[in-house]
Amino acid sequence: MGSTTPHKGTEADGAPESGAPEGGVGFRGVVAASEAGAGRRSGMVRRARAAYVVAGVLAMLVAWQLLSFVVSPAVMASPADTAKALAGLAWGSKLWVELLITLKRLVIGLAMGAAVGWLLGIVAGVHRQLRSFLEPLRWVSMTVPAVIIAVLAMLWFGLGDLAVIFLVAVIVFPTMYVNTVSGVQAVDRRLTEMGQVYHFSRRLLLTEVYLPGIASPVLAGLTLATGVAVRAVVLGEVLGAMNGIGHAFSRAMAYLETPELFAWIVVLLALMAVIEFGVLRPVRRRIMRWRKAGG
Amino acid sequence: MIVFEEVSKSFDSLEVLSGLSFHIATGQMVGMVGPSGSGKTTILKLVTGILTPDKGSVRVAEGVVGYVFQEPRLLPWRTAVDNVAAPLRARGRIKAEAREIAAHWLRRVELGGFEHYHPAELSGGMAQRVSIARAFAVEPRILLMDEPFSNVDAALKGSLMQILTSIIRERKPTVLYVTHDQAEAIRLADRVVELVPGNGLRELDVRDRA
Ligand SMILES: Nc1ncnc2c1ncn2[C@@H]1O[C@H](COP(=O)(O)OP(=O)(O)OP(=O)(O)O)[C@@H](O)[C@H]1O
Ligand SMILES: [Mg+2]
Repeated sequence: MGSTTPHKGTEADGAPESGAPEGGVGFRGVVAASEAGAGRRSGMVRRARAAYVVAGVLAMLVAWQLLSFVVSPAVMASPADTAKALAGLAWGSKLWVELLITLKRLVIGLAMGAAVGWLLGIVAGVHRQLRSFLEPLRWVSMTVPAVIIAVLAMLWFGLGDLAVIFLVAVIVFPTMYVNTVSGVQAVDRRLTEMGQVYHFSRRLLLTEVYLPGIASPVLAGLTLATGVAVRAVVLGEVLGAMNGIGHAFSRAMAYLETPELFAWIVVLLALMAVIEFGVLRPVRRRIMRWRKAGG
Repeated sequence: MIVFEEVSKSFDSLEVLSGLSFHIATGQMVGMVGPSGSGKTTILKLVTGILTPDKGSVRVAEGVVGYVFQEPRLLPWRTAVDNVAAPLRARGRIKAEAREIAAHWLRRVELGGFEHYHPAELSGGMAQRVSIARAFAVEPRILLMDEPFSNVDAALKGSLMQILTSIIRERKPTVLYVTHDQAEAIRLADRVVELVPGNGLRELDVRDRA
């Protein structure tokens, strides 16, 4: 969880009538930058940027290929061997079976941890007492190393689904919680005042002001949380499960099947890419449509 | 009816209002002028209850409040029509009904056709008119306006004034209206008061200058 900045429990709403910052407070460097532009940039600039990204991918592939020439194939498989191993895994059902098992654990753990973090974050964002009350929990869940949570999860739940899901949920929780709390605190006070003047009910205030107001930091938090969750699910499967991608990965390592080991890394990257570009980005674009004019 | 009795309000060490008393009768339209930073917006916020006085009391007759804020204060994620409809839904209207009323008021402030624009796609003056439509649409008994026409051109301002006068004629709300334009206030209002920093409200003679 090195990429998350601890949330300081100070009052962020001291300044009157200040605009709400975009993106999660404290995460600007990590996430907000990637979403701020998208709609605003012209197609040409975007294409030029995409070209650099493609060049970066190619450079990594070339570097990988070159390295595999000089390093023993026992410790580094070449791109070609990796592709062959990947094809083998995909041809048999192994790839899809393990992928589904891992995906199930990832989605359930992420959904649970994110939902709890989001819900508690909303309430704690509004109620200072609850925020203080939860501060120790937040601190503990952010500070205890993932490996230790994994070991405890195995101790409590045995090997398998439950331990991995628990680990993912616990690790995802603070990321989501912190982003949601700072999102709520950054909600534009001028808008909550407007709601007060027009006697918005609690529910209307939530659906018209707070939930849309925190969408940007929450989605930024969800993107971060997903990355964290993928790392956690693999860790959990390496240590505490008898199947799934993480387990297959550590088995490949134990049997020195280096091309397969690399193939699983590629699978993980592909999984992350599908989630990020196939799910999170379209969702964010849809929810943040109102920003299209770039106000 | 709006009654201020010996109202004091400070922000940190800055005393904006001290011992301010005034009375606005039901159905009266009062224009308020005064230099920037003298506390005009603070007075309006005290009327709504967003702010509470440090000392003294603020009494306001029961009834729906419409407030044209100094800035538009629109929900950036909602379209123009949904921004106007939101206070109506808060008052128990179902969504479709609220939207219909909202669309009607958008047409009256000459924003027909812009119902489905988001605030980021509107000009400053257009956003201000959405805010005006929102305040008028609730059929306020108390109408607070903080320089509502500061952002619109002369022609448009004329037609918005006309809507305002017709609303005032039909429904007789109590109006407290902040402006920088003293002549305009004198032309429109039953009474004009000037907020003098550190010295409270001074009644200006409307008839003399008309
Ligand atoms: N929430 C607040 N916190 C701190 N100071 C405030 C706050 N609101 C207003 N003030 C201060 O109170 C004074 C009066 O502000 P107010 O907004 O009422 O002035 P105004 O008469 O409406 O001015 P303008 O014509 O420029 O809108 C100003 O000095 C302002 O700095
Ligand atoms: Mg003001």
